[in-house]
Amino acid sequence: MSSSEDPYALMEKWLKAKEFLVVGKGVRRADALEKAMGQARFVEDFYMPGHMLFIKQVLSTEPHARILGIDASKALEVPSVEGVFTAKDIPGENQVGYALPDQPLIAEGKVRFAGELVALVAAKDFDKAIEAAEKVKIMYDPLPYVLDPLEAMERKDILVHGEVGSNIAFRTKVRKGDIEEGFSKSDVIVENEYRTHHQDHVYLETEGALALPELGDRLTVISAGQYPHLVRAIVARVVGLPESNIKVIIPYMGGGFGGKDDEGPLVAAKAALIAKLTGKPSFLMYTRDESMLMHPKREATIIKYKSGASRDGKLQAIEVKIIHDTGAYSNRGPFILWRATVHASGPYRVPHAKVDGYCIYTNKVYQGSYRGFGNPSVQFAAEAQMDSLARKLGIDPVELRLKNLLRPGDLTITGQQLNESVGVADAVAKLAKVSEWSSKIKAYSSSNGRYRRGIGIGVAWHGISTSRGVPDWSNALVKIEKDGSVSVHTGIVEMGQGSPVSSHRQIASEILGAPLDVVTVDFGTTDAPDTGATHASRGTSIGAIGVYVAAAKLRERLNKLASELLGTSPDEIEIKDGKAYLRSNPEKYISWKELIKEAYSRGVEMSATGYFFLPKGKFNDEAGQGYAYPAFSYVAMVAEVEVDTYTGKVRVLRIWPALAAGRIINPTQVEGQVEGAAVQGMGYVLMEQFVFDNKGRILNPNLTDYVVPTALDAPEIMRPVYVEDIFKYGPFGAKGVGEMALIPAPAAIANAVSNALGVQVTKLPLTPENVYFLIKEKMGKKA
Amino acid sequence: MKIPIHFILNGEEVSVEVEPNELLLNLLREKLGLTGPKYVCGIGECGACTVLLDGEPVLSCLTLAVDVDGHEVTTIEGLAKDNELTAVQKAFIEEAAVQCGYCTPGFIIMIDKLLKENPNPTEEEIREYIRGNLCRCTGYVNIVKAALKAAEELRKNTSLIKIKK
Amino acid sequence: MVEAVKLSRHNLFNTHIIPVNFKYFAPKTLNEALELLDKYGKEAKILAGGTDLLVKMKMRLVEPKYIINIKGIRELNFIKDEGNQVRIGALTRWRQLEKSELIKNFFPSLYDAVKVMGGTQIRNMATVGGNLCNASPAADSAPPLMVLNAKLVLASKKGEREIPITQFFKGPGKTVMEPDELLKEITIPKPEEGSGSAFIKVARTSMDLAKISAATALKVEDRKIVMVRIAIGSAAPTPVRTPKTEEALIGQPFRPSIIREKVKLVVNEISPIDDVRSTAFYRKEVSKIIVEDALLISYERASRR
Repeated sequence: MSSSEDPYALMEKWLKAKEFLVVGKGVRRADALEKAMGQARFVEDFYMPGHMLFIKQVLSTEPHARILGIDASKALEVPSVEGVFTAKDIPGENQVGYALPDQPLIAEGKVRFAGELVALVAAKDFDKAIEAAEKVKIMYDPLPYVLDPLEAMERKDILVHGEVGSNIAFRTKVRKGDIEEGFSKSDVIVENEYRTHHQDHVYLETEGALALPELGDRLTVISAGQYPHLVRAIVARVVGLPESNIKVIIPYMGGGFGGKDDEGPLVAAKAALIAKLTGKPSFLMYTRDESMLMHPKREATIIKYKSGASRDGKLQAIEVKIIHDTGAYSNRGPFILWRATVHASGPYRVPHAKVDGYCIYTNKVYQGSYRGFGNPSVQFAAEAQMDSLARKLGIDPVELRLKNLLRPGDLTITGQQLNESVGVADAVAKLAKVSEWSSKIKAYSSSNGRYRRGIGIGVAWHGISTSRGVPDWSNALVKIEKDGSVSVHTGIVEMGQGSPVSSHRQIASEILGAPLDVVTVDFGTTDAPDTGATHASRGTSIGAIGVYVAAAKLRERLNKLASELLGTSPDEIEIKDGKAYLRSNPEKYISWKELIKEAYSRGVEMSATGYFFLPKGKFNDEAGQGYAYPAFSYVAMVAEVEVDTYTGKVRVLRIWPALAAGRIINPTQVEGQVEGAAVQGMGYVLMEQFVFDNKGRILNPNLTDYVVPTALDAPEIMRPVYVEDIFKYGPFGAKGVGEMALIPAPAAIANAVSNALGVQVTKLPLTPENVYFLIKEKMGKKA
Repeated sequence: MKIPIHFILNGEEVSVEVEPNELLLNLLREKLGLTGPKYVCGIGECGACTVLLDGEPVLSCLTLAVDVDGHEVTTIEGLAKDNELTAVQKAFIEEAAVQCGYCTPGFIIMIDKLLKENPNPTEEEIREYIRGNLCRCTGYVNIVKAALKAAEELRKNTSLIKIKK
Repeated sequence: MVEAVKLSRHNLFNTHIIPVNFKYFAPKTLNEALELLDKYGKEAKILAGGTDLLVKMKMRLVEPKYIINIKGIRELNFIKDEGNQVRIGALTRWRQLEKSELIKNFFPSLYDAVKVMGGTQIRNMATVGGNLCNASPAADSAPPLMVLNAKLVLASKKGEREIPITQFFKGPGKTVMEPDELLKEITIPKPEEGSGSAFIKVARTSMDLAKISAATALKVEDRKIVMVRIAIGSAAPTPVRTPKTEEALIGQPFRPSIIREKVKLVVNEISPIDDVRSTAFYRKEVSKIIVEDALLISYERASRR
C-alpha cells in the first residue's frame, strides 16, 4: 500500500469537498423498484414447505421454575416429526449472552421467564410441528419469582441468577466535580422520579432464519439480523463449528429497529442447530405471538433525578439514579445502561454530576436494543427536569436550554472535551423560530376549557459508535469490474433504513466519479469484510467509512493512471459524467470504460478494502470519568398536542424536528428516518403498552391487543431543520441519523402535555387512563 | 379432503386442489410462488396480506382458499403489466414511500383501488382508507404523499410510465 | 379481533395456518344453509366475513367439525327501504353500509359506528350479522342498533322468529340463538320525526376495539326530552341499554347542566372490568362523558333535520 492510501489522509482530503455530484441529493434508493413490485425477497420468501423442516418453539409457561424433566415421547409419535431438541443436544456452547455470560440459547436446568425457549420441535409438515409442540410435556418445579425491579434489588432470597448472588446484574457510574458544592450554589432544586415502560419493535417481519447444511460441515444461513458477522459468531459457538465454515446472508429485512440485532443471531442459531443435528434444511419463523413474547424490549426504567440551577438559569449539579428492569437476562442491558448513564445530563454543560446506573434482573422478558438504546427514557427525565427548572426560575424553556446547551470546547459530564461538531444550540434556536415557539407557549400556558393545546420541546444527544472507547471499525470491499461497473460489498444490512441502497452508492459514486447507476451494493453478507453492526445509527456514519476509504484508494489509482495516460499530474484529473479529463482542458479526456480497461491491462488493481479503526480514548470505570464517544449527533423536537381533559385523550397535532447530525448525505432518506422515528416515538408515548399478569407474563402479545399508530393516528411532521456540524471521521462529515428522532419524542410530547395541563408529566405512557388520572389528581390538589 | 378450485389469478386461469382449511395467503405464497403478499399479524390487523378479490381489497390471511373458487384474485405481482408500473407504484418509488418494503405491497394494492373509487381524494380520505395497513418505518408521511402524487398523475391521464426493470 | 389469549395456549397455535380440520359446505341458498344447520348445527360454525371466526380457529378457541360458508347466499345481502323501516340482510358487508345513503341519512349513529369499525379491508369482508352473532361486548354495531330499536330475524328449518336486539345477547360470545338458527336480517324502524342519534367510541388507535362506546337516540319537544335511549358497549358482559338513566332523563328540560347531572347514573348500570385495553375505573368515568357527548350530538342532528 502506498502512503497515498493512508485512510486519514484520504478522509481529510475528501472532507474538504465543497461541491458534490450526488452527495446531499435526494437520490432514489436502489431497492424501491423491487419492493414496489412485490419482488424483493425476505427470509420467509425462501421457505419451501415440504422440502425443508419447519421448526416450532416450545416456550416456558412459568416465570421461574426448575425443569424436572421433558417428555417428548408423545410428540415424537406425530407423523413427519424429525425430532424434539433441547439444551442437551447442543453440540457447541449453550451460551449467547452479549454482555455477560448469563444467557442460554435453550433453557437449561431452569426457566427464568414465561416465554423462554425450552425445546425445539422439527417436522417436515408445518402443521405437524405445531401439533407435536403441543405434546411436549415439561415438568416444572415452580420457584418463587420477582417482578418488580425495586423489590428485586433488595431481595437476596429470590435470585434470578443464583450464581450472581444478587439481582443487580451490572452497575455504572459517572462522577464529575462535587455535587454538594453544586447544589449549594443552586437557587432552585427540582427532584422527581420518572417511570418509563417497555416497547415492542413491531417490525412487520417477525424473526426468521433458514439454515442449509452443506458438505464438509459447512452451513449457509439466510437469516434476519443486523450484523452478519455476529450472527455467524453466535451460530458457530452454538453448533461448534469454526466461523469460516459458516456463511451468513441477510436478505432484505422487514424492519429491525435494534430488535434483530439481539434476536437475529438467536433465531439463526436455532435454525442452524436443527440443520446441524438433522443434516436437513431447516426453517424457523416466529409467529407474531412468539416474537412479542420472546424478543427483547425497550428498557423499562425508574429514574430518580435531582437538578439544581442558579438564578441566572445555569445548571449547577445533577444527581441521577437510573434503574433498568433488565428482565431475566442481561442481554445488551449493560451497554444500554452505560449509554443511559453517560447521556443522563442531556446535551448540557453541568459542572457537578453524580450518576449511578443499575441493571436489575427480574423474572420477565428481557430488555434489549431498541432505537435510542437507553437514551429516550433518560432524555425524557432530563428534559422534564429542564421544564420544571424553567417553571421555577420563571425562564422560557427554550431560553433555559440555550443558556446551558453544549458548545464547541465544552466538557461533557464524563469530562470529554467536545472541540468540534457541536451544532445543537444553533439547531434549537432555528427550531424555536420555525415552530413559532414563543407565541405558542404564551398562548397555550393560559389555555382552559375542555380541549387544551400544549407545546413542548425535547433536546437530546446521542453518542456515535460504541460506548466508552470500545473498539469500533469500518470496512468494505469495493471493486471496479472490467466493464466499468462498480460492486460494493458490505456487512451493513438493509432493513429499511436504506444506507446500503442509497448513501453507500452515493459515496462510492461521488468519490470514484462513476455514474450512480453503475454502482451496485451487495449488503448484509459475511462475504464482505466485517463492517460492524447496523445499529447505533452507524449504517452510514461508521458503516460507510469503509466504502469511503476503499473508493478513495481506487480514485487515487485512477487519477494516477489517467494522469499518465493524459500526460498531466494526478491532481489535475477530474472524473465525472463517464469520463476522466483535465480540469484545465476538459477536451482532453478518456472515457470511464476505457480508463478501467487500461487499468486492467496495465496491472492497476481495481479492488480495495477500506478498513478504518476509529481512534478513541479510554474511560476510567473507577473514576467515572473519561472518553465516551468520538462525536455526538444532536436532535431536538417540538411537539404540539391537544388534550381532551374530559377523557384524557391526547392527540399529537404537529411535530417539528431538528438535526445536527453532520453532513446529510441523502436528505430524502434522512427525512424518512425522522418521520418514521417520530411516529414510533409517538406510539410509544401514547398507545403502546404491554400488560403483564401476576406471573410476569405478557397478556397482549399480538397486534389486536398491543396497538401501534395507524395513518390516521399519525401527526403532521414538518420538514427537519438541519445544522450540518461536520464530523471529521464521518463520510463527508456525516454523523448518525437513524435513531435520532425517536430519542427526544417522549420528552417533547410529555412536555407538551405538561404545558397543556399545567402539571409535570413524570410517567409514561400517556394513555387516556393515565392522563385522566393526572387531571383528576391535579383537580384534587386544587380543591 | 382436497377440493379442486378454479379462479383467475392476475389475469390467468388457475386450477389447483386445496384443503378446506387452507388460507388464500398460503396458497398464493407457497403453492403459486407469489410472495408479494406478506404474513405479518395473522389476525387481520395489519393489511400486509391484502389482495383484490373481484376488485375489492380483502385480507388473504383471513380468506379460505376454497372461497376464491370462481372468482378473480389480483396480487401486487399482477398490477404492473409487461413491466409497466402503475402510477401508484411509480409514485411510491419517486416519493420515497418505500423503506423496508414489507408493508409496501399491501399499501400499493389499497391506494391503487382507492384511486379507482375516488380519483381526487383528500389527505384525510387517504389516511382513512389505508388505516387498516400498518407501516412501522415511514410514519406514513411519504405513503400519503405518494397517493396524492399518483392521484394527480392519473388525473393528468399519464397512468402508465415505462420503467425498465 | 379476539380478546387476549392465555400464554399456556401459545404452543397450540400458529396464526400462519388454521390448525383445525373441518368438513366444508358452501350453500347457495338460505334453505340449503338451514338444512345443513339442522343437521350439523351443534358442531358447526357459520362462516360469513371470516374476520372473527378464522382468527378464533387459528388460535383454536373454536374447533368446529363443520364449516358452513354462507358467503354465496345472495338473498342475504341487501339494504331495503320499506317506507317506515329499513331491512338489512345479515350478509351485508360493512363497506356497503358505509356507502349507503339510506344508512347515512336515517341512522347516523349506525353510520358513526361503521366509520370507526376496522379498516377498509375488514369492512369489505365483515358482515353486519357476523358482528352481532359474535356477541363481543365491544361489537361496534350493537349500541347504535340498540338505540335504534332494531329487531333481528332468526331463521331455522322450523320457521322464523323476530326478537328485539336488546334481548339477543347473553354474554361474551353468547346469544339466544339456537344451534340450528341463522341470523337472517336486521330491521330498523325509521327514526321518528325530530329525533337524532349518535355513536362515540373511545379507543387506543383508529383501528382498535373500543375501550368503551356509547350510542344515544334523542327527541326533544318544547325543550323537554320526550324520547331518549342509551346503549353502552365494552362496559359489561354484553352491550347494554341503561333504562334507569333514560327514565331519569325523560321529561327533563334539555339543558347541559341537567344532562350532565343525570348521565352520572349510567355508571350504576354498567359493570366494566380491567383488561388489556382499559380499566374498570376509566370506563366508568368516561361512560358519563361519552353519553353526554352523544346526547349533545344527537340533539344537534335532530335540530338539523
